[in-house]
Amino acid sequence: MSASAEKGAAVTPPRPRRPALPPLARFLIRRLLVAVLLAWGVTLVTFVLTNLVPGDPVAANLGQRAMNDPEIVAQWRAEHGLDRPLWEQYGLYLQGLVQGDLGTSQQSHRPVSQDLAQAVPATLELAGAAILISLVLGVAFGVIAALRRDRLSDHLLRLLSLIGISVPTFWLALVSFYVFFYRLQLTPGSGRVDPALGAPPKVTGLHTVDALLAGQWDVYTSAVGHLITPALVLALYTIGLLTRFTRSAVLEVLGQDYVRAGRAKGLPGRVILFRYVLRSALVPVITVAGLAFGSLLSGTVLVEAIFAWPGIGQYAYKSATTLDLPAVMGVGLVVGVVYLVINLIVDVLYGVIDPRVRLR
Amino acid sequence: MATRSQTAALLLAGALALAACGGGGGAQAPAAQSGGKTLVIDTSFDLQTADPGRTYEPTGLIVGKATYETLLTFEGSDVTKPVPALAESYELSKDGKVLTLKLKQGATFADGSPVTADDVVFSLTRVRDMKGSPSFLLDGVEIEKTDDTTVTMTSEKPNAALPYILPNPALGILNSDVVKENGGTADAQDKAEQYLNANSAGSGPYEIETFDVSSQVVLKANGNYHGDKPAYEKVVIRNVESATQKLNVQRGDSQVALNLSGDQVTGMPDNLQVKKSASANVFFLLANQNPEISEVTTNPKFVEAVRKGVDYAGLLELAGEGAARAPGVIPSQILGALPEGEAVQRDVEGAKAALAESGLSDPTVKLEYPTELTVNGLSFQPLAERIQANLKEVGITVDLQPAPVTTALDNYRNGKEEMGLWYWGPDYPDPNIYLAFLPGQLVGERAGWKAGSDEKLEQLGEKAGAAVGDEARTEAYQEVQRELNASGPFVPLIQPSQNIVAADSVTGVEYHPVWQIDVADLGAK
Repeated sequence: MSASAEKGAAVTPPRPRRPALPPLARFLIRRLLVAVLLAWGVTLVTFVLTNLVPGDPVAANLGQRAMNDPEIVAQWRAEHGLDRPLWEQYGLYLQGLVQGDLGTSQQSHRPVSQDLAQAVPATLELAGAAILISLVLGVAFGVIAALRRDRLSDHLLRLLSLIGISVPTFWLALVSFYVFFYRLQLTPGSGRVDPALGAPPKVTGLHTVDALLAGQWDVYTSAVGHLITPALVLALYTIGLLTRFTRSAVLEVLGQDYVRAGRAKGLPGRVILFRYVLRSALVPVITVAGLAFGSLLSGTVLVEAIFAWPGIGQYAYKSATTLDLPAVMGVGLVVGVVYLVINLIVDVLYGVIDPRVRLR
Repeated sequence: MATRSQTAALLLAGALALAACGGGGGAQAPAAQSGGKTLVIDTSFDLQTADPGRTYEPTGLIVGKATYETLLTFEGSDVTKPVPALAESYELSKDGKVLTLKLKQGATFADGSPVTADDVVFSLTRVRDMKGSPSFLLDGVEIEKTDDTTVTMTSEKPNAALPYILPNPALGILNSDVVKENGGTADAQDKAEQYLNANSAGSGPYEIETFDVSSQVVLKANGNYHGDKPAYEKVVIRNVESATQKLNVQRGDSQVALNLSGDQVTGMPDNLQVKKSASANVFFLLANQNPEISEVTTNPKFVEAVRKGVDYAGLLELAGEGAARAPGVIPSQILGALPEGEAVQRDVEGAKAALAESGLSDPTVKLEYPTELTVNGLSFQPLAERIQANLKEVGITVDLQPAPVTTALDNYRNGKEEMGLWYWGPDYPDPNIYLAFLPGQLVGERAGWKAGSDEKLEQLGEKAGAAVGDEARTEAYQEVQRELNASGPFVPLIQPSQNIVAADSVTGVEYHPVWQIDVADLGAK
């Protein structure tokens, strides 16, 4: 779903003789319907693709001996519903899904929803920190580069963003773990928190927040310490991307007549930067940030593996290699929903920033 | 300009705050210094459950060994002699069919209740009847309570292997009252797994504190343990990828790393101990004997050319220090293994001669193997490439066909591979499982080797299976392997090295062929 299409739709005037709902509500309802449709599409595509892969989940789940005992294999298939025809399996899955049941993972023998409830917050904590860091630093760097165009700081920032965009994430993850943890001994080791301390009591699933809620300061510092390197590694690509986009967007706006007019009026630089320049420059930046969040999620698979971060990336990898269908479908759904939500947020933000696309 | 300097100041402040956070985390002492109460073990998880009756994965066996006790066990890493655990003695009848076990008195579960003969019967029957991965261990075995301290196990066929099977952590004894209260029915409908994944119900030195199949397992010492208290109050087993394991253990963030390859353990600093021992996994080549699959590999002279053409020393080099030649399919730790001197040696001229005799000119064969699977840190790809190069010298073209493990396994299990590179790990340390390599048996069928293809070998196999007594068994199994090496479709290659790296402060580190490492055996200096 492209944001620009939505933007176009949003400016179409409402039809006469149907005054009922306010435009924003109509917009949200339409988006919700599309979301449900897309989520269903995600399940269908994942289901078909997973079943097209040659290979048998039995091999991944039963021991060498057990998988040669037809009785055990038959029972295992029956237990996981794999003895039914494909369309029936899919039907049963959808039926469960409507009731909020994502099935049982063949690997962990637990409901997929429980597995996800554990893995998703871990990834959200990591990706959330990364997107926050990259928004703050990326936009700031971009503005600085634009304001100091062709000077040393601009060149340095260009170098930084080039590095960020071109360095492979897994390499960066390994190297930064080696340098900061092993060589410089600045950061703590792998995982989310010091194993001797243990996780804080679960409220949100985000260790940093939960530790604060429980008032456990040592756990909090440990969790933040563990978070910082993987989040920075994950953020570097997005920082590079946002720096480049912000720079060119700001440069474009800086040349506009109204900015020059503002300057001529003698407005202070702060007002010009924040009210005149940033506001219009942010529209393309937000589009890019929304898209970048997607690549951030795929980057978590590698970063999570190196830093032993028990998130959705690791879960997805393990499920895919063992052909754990319910788990793969669950991950697909979560990622799909995250994308939809991000797109929605981006679309709503357009309206906030740019009155021209505001709903009437 | 004011704006610029302000932005810059803001940025600087942000960067400092980030650095401070990083510093804050780092300044903290690394977890669990030597002599402390917590032990951190890093391993690449292969874990599905904490229910012993369903456990069959390496990481699950570590957890099972720590939280449950079995009737018999092994001392140290010697798997040639089962020793008493919950049973104080055992006796196998002369025909090898009835095993009588006397239970030890005074053993208690973590909740303080005594371990009874009823618990034993319940637990073992449960494994057999739940039809999970380990149920084959007790296939055709009847378990009965004769009196309050005696249990008999009766097998349909002579089963001299049973005392070697019983130490498997999958056969740990559960507190039957607790399990029944939580959905345990000891048949296919048994629902106790969910409970057992959160709480252990055993008599082992540790209890489960938290259990997560994808990230970590935390064990705490069992306060009611009836034996010697373990040295560590808490043991954290974490799922960590091997490159990260190395850095963690070097920096002291963990005390034990279980999955480092031969390359990774070279040049370790002095404050770490490195235990290298040949694992019980055997890499081997198979050449399909089914004429429908291949006209090349069914030619006995072709198999001979392959056997003489492989550069075993080169493969050992790839595997790194600690690896060993596999003279036959039975690994060195297990009763009946062939002495190393009997291993086939490379003979390029002999291989060329055999190929000439085969009548095949410039044969091409497909070699299938799993890509992402590693065994003791060793992947299949470099081995396959080396074999390809070796056989090129002989005049055989090998077409490498790597595939993801689930796909490759499918072809292997269905006997569809022309040639395959695989490994076999013992389900339990008794030679009788290696009869699977004979015609018509599990692995034999995978090589398209049907029953009746080699009568002499099949008779030798039957004799070995029925033999009772260590000496007679050793001789019979060695005879089987000699014959298999002479005329079978398998080429045993190497046993990779199992490396354990541990902090110097940890004592008693030893690789075990069944459960990798016994957490309760580890001490602190």
